Amino acid sequence: MSMMELNVTGLAAALAAFLGIWWGHVAVRIIEARLTDIRPAMIIAVLLGLGMWTGALLTSWMPLSAALGIFGVTLLWDGYEFYRQEKRIKIGHAPANPHNPRHARILAAYPSATTVDLLNRDPVGRPVDAEEAARLVAEH
Amino acid sequence: MNFFGIFIGIATLFVIGLGFVWVIRGERYFGYLWWPYVMGLGILLVVGSLFLANDWASGMVGAIGASLVWGSTEFKEQAVRAELGWFPFREKKILPPGAGTIKKWPAPHL
Repeated sequence: MSMMELNVTGLAAALAAFLGIWWGHVAVRIIEARLTDIRPAMIIAVLLGLGMWTGALLTSWMPLSAALGIFGVTLLWDGYEFYRQEKRIKIGHAPANPHNPRHARILAAYPSATTVDLLNRDPVGRPVDAEEAARLVAEH
Repeated sequence: MNFFGIFIGIATLFVIGLGFVWVIRGERYFGYLWWPYVMGLGILLVVGSLFLANDWASGMVGAIGASLVWGSTEFKEQAVRAELGWFPFREKKILPPGAGTIKKWPAPHL
């Protein structure tokens, strides 16, 4: 194979995987925080994923088939992540949005739920208790 | 019908799933300061995938490279998760070469 015949299948797979994971993470966090009912978003994510998979089946160009197949799988997973994100809100591993009535109900029902993003800081290299964890985020 | 994309998508799902394991274990024993090395290795794999003529090999090496780059951006948050007690915390880390310099750089997270 000469330099002129680079195989872009791997590059297409890499971009689809990286962007699919990144945008999926960001989109699930933003959308879950705003929706009063997550079920429509779950259904849309699954339908979009299946649409991508249909495209992957119908194209004969391998780089595009790989990218659509990988985007499809990340979207199908995002459908499940809406449910997992709501669970993170309940246990305080992701910040609740008090302006969202669904999150407000979670904040009222689950003592572990919080509006603070406890991950938004640099590591300090030792275990921290709840009080220090909140202070470190506030100082960040 | 071209099943290549769906099969590589499912294989990538397992590569990403494996990412959870190595990010958690890697941060516990080695610490988050390894992130530039992991990111560099990931980029090298993606570039290397260009030179693989076989579509399956190229696609999988590219997906594994992307997973390494993504994992490198997860290390810092994982270190915080361990400090919060969400994962087992291990104080003693096997630090990377140049750890002092890397610590001055802002660790990426997306």
